[in-house]
Parts: sequence; C-alpha cells; structure tokens
Amino acid sequence: MKNEALKHVKNALLMLIILGVTFFISIILQDILTVQEHITTVFVFAVFLVSLITDGYLYGILTAFLGVIAVNFAFTFPYFAINFIIPENFISALVMIVISLMTSALTTKLKKWQEIKVEGEREKMRANLLRAVSHDLRTPLTTIYGSSSAIVDSYDSLSDDVKKKMVIGIKEDSQWLIGMVENLLSITRIDGGGVKLIKSPMSLEELADSVILKFKKRYPEINLIIDIPDSVVIIPMDAMLIEQVILNIFENAVYHADGMTHISFRVYLEKENAIFEISDNGCGIEKSRLDRIFDGYFSAEQRSDAKRRNAGIGLSVCSTIINAHGGSISAENLAAGGAVFRFSLSVADGNDIIDYNEENNI
Amino acid sequence: MNNNRYKILLVEDEANIRTFISALLEVNGYQVILANNYAQARTMYFSYVPDLIILDLGLPDGDGSLLLSEIRVNDATPVIVLSARSDESEKVRLLDLGANDFVTKPFGSAELLARVRSSLRSYRHSSDDGRLPGGKFVLMDLVIDYDARRLFINDEEIKLTQTEYNIMALLSEHCGKMMTYSAIIKAVWREYPDEGNIKRLQVNMANIRKKLGLRPGDNKYIVNELGVGYRLQD
Repeated sequence: MKNEALKHVKNALLMLIILGVTFFISIILQDILTVQEHITTVFVFAVFLVSLITDGYLYGILTAFLGVIAVNFAFTFPYFAINFIIPENFISALVMIVISLMTSALTTKLKKWQEIKVEGEREKMRANLLRAVSHDLRTPLTTIYGSSSAIVDSYDSLSDDVKKKMVIGIKEDSQWLIGMVENLLSITRIDGGGVKLIKSPMSLEELADSVILKFKKRYPEINLIIDIPDSVVIIPMDAMLIEQVILNIFENAVYHADGMTHISFRVYLEKENAIFEISDNGCGIEKSRLDRIFDGYFSAEQRSDAKRRNAGIGLSVCSTIINAHGGSISAENLAAGGAVFRFSLSVADGNDIIDYNEENNI
Repeated sequence: MNNNRYKILLVEDEANIRTFISALLEVNGYQVILANNYAQARTMYFSYVPDLIILDLGLPDGDGSLLLSEIRVNDATPVIVLSARSDESEKVRLLDLGANDFVTKPFGSAELLARVRSSLRSYRHSSDDGRLPGGKFVLMDLVIDYDARRLFINDEEIKLTQTEYNIMALLSEHCGKMMTYSAIIKAVWREYPDEGNIKRLQVNMANIRKKLGLRPGDNKYIVNELGVGYRLQD
C-alpha cells in the first residue's frame, strides 16, 4: 500500500517536472526565438518522455491532455482561449494522445517481459542449486549408508577398530550434512516468497560468543584469534543468518586454506558500518576462482575431490545473506599469504537510544 | 540403589530416535520411561511422576506443546523440548509456555546430556530455595549473597549496578533454565519487552560478562542463545 502511494507520488513528480521544463522551453521558443510552430513538437516529445518513464497509462494520457490544453490555451491563436474548432489544434491533440497510448503500451509490455526474465533467472538459479545440492548429498550419504549397512550385515566379522572407524566416518559425514541443511534453511529464510528479513538488535559480543562456541565445538584444534571492539556495539541483524555467514567463512578456511595455522576474526567500526574481517594464513585463493567465489552454485563445474565439496554453496549463501542485509561482501588474497573475507553491516540506529549511565553502582 | 536414579520420561514417536536417546540416558545412569504418543505420555506422567520430561513436539495423536501447558498448570517438573524447527520465535514460544530448555534436531549426545544435567540441577536448586534468609547461590567459584545483594568470584566482590545485580539474581534463581528476553525484561524492569528494552538488556549483559571477566567464546557461567535469551549453567 505504502509502496503504491510512493510510486504515484514519484510518477506525478516526474510528470510535473517534464511538463514544467517543456513549458519553459515553449516560452523561450515563443518569446525569444519566435518559432512557435515547433511548440507542438516539443509537447509531443514531452508526452513521449512521460509515457516512457512513468508506470502504466495514466500519466502519459494526463500529460497528453495537459499538453493539448497548454498548447491550445497559451501557445496557439487565439491566445488564452480554448479552441478546438481550428483543425490544426484538433489534430495535434489527437497525435499526442495516440503517441501516449502507444508508448505506454510498449513500456508496460517491456516491463512485464523483464519481470518474466528475472523470474526465469531465479528459477534457473534454484534448479542449479538443487542439482548441486543433490549431487553433493550423495557422497556423505554413501558413507553413512554404506558404513552402517556394513556394520549391521557383518557385525561379528568386523574388528572393533574398523567398526569404530566406520562410525566416526558416519558421525563426520552427518555433521557435514547438518551444515548443508543449515545453509539450505538460511536460503529459504531469505528466499521464502519475498519475505523481508527481520532485523533485531544484537550485541556484537554476544554474536561473537555464540559463533566462537559453535566453531570450537566442531573444530577444537583450530586456533582462533579474536579482535573485537571493547565497547558495546549493537547491530541490527538477523543474528542466526549472520552467525551462519561467519561460520561458513570459518569453515571455508578449514576446508580450503591448506597450510593454515590460525584464523583471525576481527571486527571494527568505520563510520556507520561494522566491518567483519576474517583472515587466514593458508594458501590463498586461486586468481581464477576469486572473481566468482561468491556465486559457487551457479557454476556447473563439479569437483570430485571429496574434501573440496561444499565449496560453492557456503560462500554463495554468505553473499545472499549479506546482500539481503544491505551490506557488501568481498574476498581477496593477502600480500603476506592467506585470504581475507570482509563484509559490512550498517550500525545505523543501533546505538542511539539508551543513556547507559542512568544506573549508579550499588 | 536403582530407586535413587532420576526418572526421565521420554516422549518420542520415532522409534530410532527413541532407541538412541534411551540407550544414551540409561548408560549415563538415568531410569528411562518411554512413551510414543500423547495419550501414553499423559498416563506415564501421572502414574510415574518423573523427575524430568524429554518431549518431542510432533506426536501422531496431538501437539506436544499442549502436554507442556497441561503439565505446567500445577507442576514445575523440568521439561526439555525436542524441536525440529530452529527459528527463534518457535523457541521463545516454547520457553514462554514453560519449557526449561529445548534441543533442536539434529543434536549430539553431549548436547542432550548437558541439557538434562543442567535441567535436573535447576529443579534441585529451586527446591532447596536459595531465597531463604542467609541464602546463597553457588555456581563453581561464583557466589551470590542474596541478603547483601552482592556477587563474588573467588571470594572477590564484583561490583555490579542495581540492574546488573537484578539480572544475575534472576538468572541464578532459575539456574539451568533458559530465560527469554521477555521474561527477564518483565521481571527486572517490569516493562513490556520491545526493541529498546532488548537493546538495554543486551548492553547490561555485555557489561556483566565483562565484569565477570568473560571473553566471547568463554563458555562459563552464562550461556547465550542468540535472539532467545540467557541461561546460567554449571
């Protein structure tokens, strides 16, 4: 509803501006250059412009009417009187209305066609995602199904050692599956029929706390270096999704940054934005992959290397989430070696309200 | 000795999940009573009077959350909810209905056992009432002296503001239970929870954690569940 009203205001404003400029040009033509026979052409052009820029038919036709009246009233003989008896006036009115109708019809069609194209692309994206995911699901499911059926079928002939190894494999691969499901859920949370993201205030410290605990639980051996501001920073966000972003980037480093000995997680404030910076000292990212690193699941290439699977979807989920937050995300290699991922979130209206000194010590 | 074990009522309709949870609990010294639907769960609850209930929500013959509200009418037996949904609003709804904690499927054994232990502790704690005169709350090296309204770590006093103390006292009274933002805000500020209040609560919590010497990722005293609430735990 609100959007609809805003659109009308915008359209009306555009129309008035164009009409105003046209009127001004017409006055110049008439009074200074005295070539008033071209005034009608200028108005025809204005009608064309308005029909092209505004949505629907209404404003184009309105401009045509206003144009006809203006030309008739102010710029053609008899001046300052409406007179349609003169055939020239009548014809110019007709031409303007026809032009407005045709242009509007054409632009409306064009807009619809563009919408269909966007929708089609989204469908294609979804299909690609589904294909990539189903393909990726097969590997861990093979481990889980294969190992467990082996244990059940030959329970007595397998040594305890082998059984334990298989069960550990089952555990690892199910954990990977859980990660995949979390990512898919995150996408549906954003993509669910254009539902808008619900942002709530979240303190950076709490977010970091939760992320670090979850990461440490799965990868206790990885050295995490944390550097976040000492002051309390509140950022409006969908915390579950942002947590997912950070975990995905951490995990990406675990899987792909060969030779990495630590991951550092740094957050700092820059004007109205909180910049999250996650870097590692591993092997860095190949140049050829760097450009398309965030649109992983669109690419058709499939890696057979088991350790490298899950490459695409995690980072593309990150960029989807950050874009939905109105932030930006980027990746680059460090001169000293390793890769750095950076994303920003707006802190605006996060830190405005409370006077924290209201309460005194006991 | 068997009679002294905690009785846990496990309500779950999926046979595979029931098998692994009951095996896990029994190995860890709990007595398990099984129920695989709503009707059975009601009967078991009234006839066995369990110390803890692990409740799955999607039961074939009724919504598990109805059972939760039914139990809560006049009973404080801790309830841990098993939920397949992970959104905050669902968690908040269940906690506000009276669940002590929730575990989102899928979960690991360590996670479930930790929740069971901490929910049983909360039950023990509330029954010996730390609010009696001279009452003290002890959690590892953290001590709250309710009479003096002071908090100590390793016998050293931590200077808290009124509000910070009130929050800690509230969490300690419900130690082991996940307290939602709205429950804390209503109890501490007696206000309706809105965005501003949640910010205020988070700022206070951040300061408390700093004063307790907790860095992000230190899993000590306070557990925070993003977008839901806080819990004091051992």
